[in-house]
Parts: sequence; C-alpha cells; structure tokens
Amino acid sequence: MRASLHVLGYDVDETEIAVMRVADGVYGPQLRALVAADLSGVWAEPDMDPSRAPSARFPAGIE
Amino acid sequence: MSHPQDLSLREQAAAIASGALNPAELLDATFARIEERDGALNSVVVRFPDEAREMLAEAPRGPLYGVPVLVKDMFRLPWYAPHDGAPGVAAPPGESAVYRRLRDAGAVIAGITQCHYWGAGSTGHVSAWGPCGNPWNPAHCAGGSSGGSASAVGARLAAAAVGTDGGGSVRLPSAYCGVTGLKVTFGAIDGEGYTHGFSDMGAIGPICRDAADARLFGEVLTGQALTRGDGGPLRVGVIRDPWWTDLDPEIERACDDALDAAGWQRVELSLAAAEHQQAAALVCLTVQSLPMISAEELAEADPILRALTKFELTLTPAIVHQAARVRSLLRRAVADAFTRCDVLAWPTVPAPAPPIENPTVELPSGRAPADPGNLRQTGLGNLTGIPGISVPVGLHSSGLPMALQLQAAWGDDGRLFDAAEHLEQATGREFVDAAPEPAAAQSSRS
Repeated sequence: MRASLHVLGYDVDETEIAVMRVADGVYGPQLRALVAADLSGVWAEPDMDPSRAPSARFPAGIE
Repeated sequence: MSHPQDLSLREQAAAIASGALNPAELLDATFARIEERDGALNSVVVRFPDEAREMLAEAPRGPLYGVPVLVKDMFRLPWYAPHDGAPGVAAPPGESAVYRRLRDAGAVIAGITQCHYWGAGSTGHVSAWGPCGNPWNPAHCAGGSSGGSASAVGARLAAAAVGTDGGGSVRLPSAYCGVTGLKVTFGAIDGEGYTHGFSDMGAIGPICRDAADARLFGEVLTGQALTRGDGGPLRVGVIRDPWWTDLDPEIERACDDALDAAGWQRVELSLAAAEHQQAAALVCLTVQSLPMISAEELAEADPILRALTKFELTLTPAIVHQAARVRSLLRRAVADAFTRCDVLAWPTVPAPAPPIENPTVELPSGRAPADPGNLRQTGLGNLTGIPGISVPVGLHSSGLPMALQLQAAWGDDGRLFDAAEHLEQATGREFVDAAPEPAAAQSSRS
C-alpha cells in the first residue's frame, strides 16, 4: 500500500497506515470479493442514464 | 399562536398567504429560535439576516412566499461560496438551480447547514464547521452528510432544508434525526451549482418534518407536481439479504411493525449481485470524488479523511470495472423487481445515531464504525438512480429515532410520498409529530 501510493506521488505516515489498516479490515473483504466475483459475460451498461430504468438489452449475459 | 417554527411548512405558507402570519415576523422569529436552540447542535453554520431580508423584499407570491428555508453547504448562492464542509471554497458564489427554484417560489434562504467534510461520511462528526449534534441528544451524531439540514428541521429551527444524497446523505441523517427526507430520482432536481453535480451517484432532496411538507418542498425543488395517489394498496418488496440482516433488534422490530400497520402486501424478493452492492457503491463514490480532490486539499485535510482517501487511492482499475458491471446488474435486477412490487422497504439505518465522541454502532455482528452499515442500507438507490424516502417509525429505547426506507421505481417519487403519508396515518402520526424537548437541544455536548 505504501509503495503503490508512493508511485502515485503520495507519502504516508504511520498514523495514516494505521487508519488504512482499519479501513481495509472494514471494507477489504467486500472489495476483494467484488474483485473475485465471476461476472464473465456481464457488460457494464453503455451510456448509463441513472434517471431512468436500463434498456432491456443490458446488461448482457445474465439470462 | 405557538412559535411559528412549530408550524409545518405548509401551515407557514398558508398562514402567510392568508395574512395570519407576517413573513418579516416569521423571519425574525426564525433567527431568534436558531440563536436560542442551535448552540449545542451546530446545525446552521452560516446565517443570512441581511440577504434573507433582501430576498423577502423581492419575493414573488409563490407557493413558499415568505417561508424561511435552509440550504446545505453544497450549493452556490449569489452571495455565498459553498465549502462542502471543508476549509476551502468548493465553488464560487453564483446562482445554483436550487437557489433559483427557491427564489422563484418566494422562499427565503435563512442560512447554510453543516455538512460532513467533503460530504464524505454518514455521521457528520467530521467537518470544518465542527460536529453537528442530534436534536434528540446533542451528544449523538446528526448524521451525514446532510446532518445540519436534518438536525435543524428536527429541532424546529426551520420547517424545510435542502440536502444532497450521494450515498445516503439525505436519508441517513433524516433517519437519525427523526425527520422525513427524500432522495429524488437521479436528475429530478437540477444539479447546476451543486458542488457534486459531477457525480452520477448524487441527487438532491427535501428534508422536512413529514411527507406532506416534503412533497410540497419537493415540488418546488423539482418544479413538477409529485402526484397524490392512494398509498394504501401497495405491494412492498422485502429483500431480506442483505437489507434486513445485522440490524439493531429494536429497529428491525419497529420497521416490521410499521409494515404491518400500513397493511401493505409483502412480496419476498431477492436481488442479483446484492452481496456486492455495498462495495460497488463505495468504489463508484470513490472514483468519482477522488479526481476532484487536489493534492494540496488532501495534504491539508482532516487526518482521518486524508488517510481514508489515500486508502481509496489504492483501488485498482480492475475493481472499478467490476463495480460498473455490478451496477448494471443491480439496475436490471431492480427494474425487474418493480414488475413484482410497487416499493421496496427496509430500515434506513441499521442502528440509531452513534455518539459523536465514538461514532460506532452495536450490531448483532459486533461493534463497528457507522459508515459501512449505513452505506449498505442506502447505496443501492445511488447506484441505480431510484428515489428513496426515509420515514420515522419510532423511538429507540436510547431515546433516538428509528426509520423505515421506502424506494420506488425511476420517476415514481410521488408514490413515495403517498406511501409515507399512508404510513403516517396508519401510525396515528405518532412519530412524525414527535418533537425533541428543547432542553435537549440546549444541553451541552458532554
């Protein structure tokens, strides 16, 4: 985490690392489950408009 | 007459229109009440006595003629630059669309309400303005990020306030403070001049004491009639997992009892990809907000927010893509769900408002920070764009409010007011008419 942030141009101190560890404990399992989810064949909705229901054609791959 | 701020929004408007209430006297009484009651709350962080009187002098005879309202610290006003709850200016002064709607309705903007730092939290305890207290117990959080709006309305400082909702920020503080808050269908209220108008997760919404007031205020903000129908014969979709799990038992029971009282037909449903909605909401909120935060702002930010933002900076493109796919699945699943029910229902928050000094909540799974559970309960509405309303349904044994969330299909915002009004009637208006003791609002935060 420290190295990846350094690449982005950010330094982190020990307090920040401690907070980030807590955040990872809270959100990390779900984020990793999201990465690991098998969504093969599911397409992100192109030109999504949250003001209305999705087109009946999307997302593909869930039938 | 009692204090005019004990009147509802519609009663204030009607009394002014009939000549029974002088709008200048109402404005003076409003500032006096804010002065009297807001010390322990810190909900109205900027007051506009001069600008409000100028607005009143020029106000047209619209539906809210002469009625004082409050606006969250996320909107441009001709005389005010919003801060998003941070030290710096988020946008210059100017005319936001919300300002124009309020002005054209004859409303008077009396002040700015407190906002969680960058709008990035559901507790309201982190803000450049300082924490915001809950009107039912000022030592507890008002919620966020529209905590000031909900607290001020709950404390009867004003009958209506504007909030914004990118991950639950209208509904969550409304639930904590025992008031009624609607997140409109995405885009139903024009986001011009709204500091998070860049986001396709964020929507604006009215926060009022009850559904009838919120409908009136919502009609002003949207510029549309929000239809009045029969909220009685509804099919209510109940999705147990994850939205009825890991809840404070009193909240679960209060929401269950509210559904029973309403007499609605329950339809048990499940939703594809629901287990990933919380993570997807976090990712979508993050990737849209991060580019708006400069390195300089980050360096000067609140230390906890700075660390959390750096945590979010480590999210990878792969997870962003996964979140987009989950969002699509959820939107389709929700559209399908609304072929089988009229509204979805679950608790707005999993636990009552936590203490400001330690904003964690006790859940069956253990003690946890308030934010994750709150985002779990409200993120779906932001991911999909559907409207949602939080309705008070009781007081917890801790003395803090409990609330039920109802969500409807895109553009069906009016149905939520119908449902909420039906629920209010079915429960004898007990929970929307309940008001915190002023002494609570005046007590010190200790």
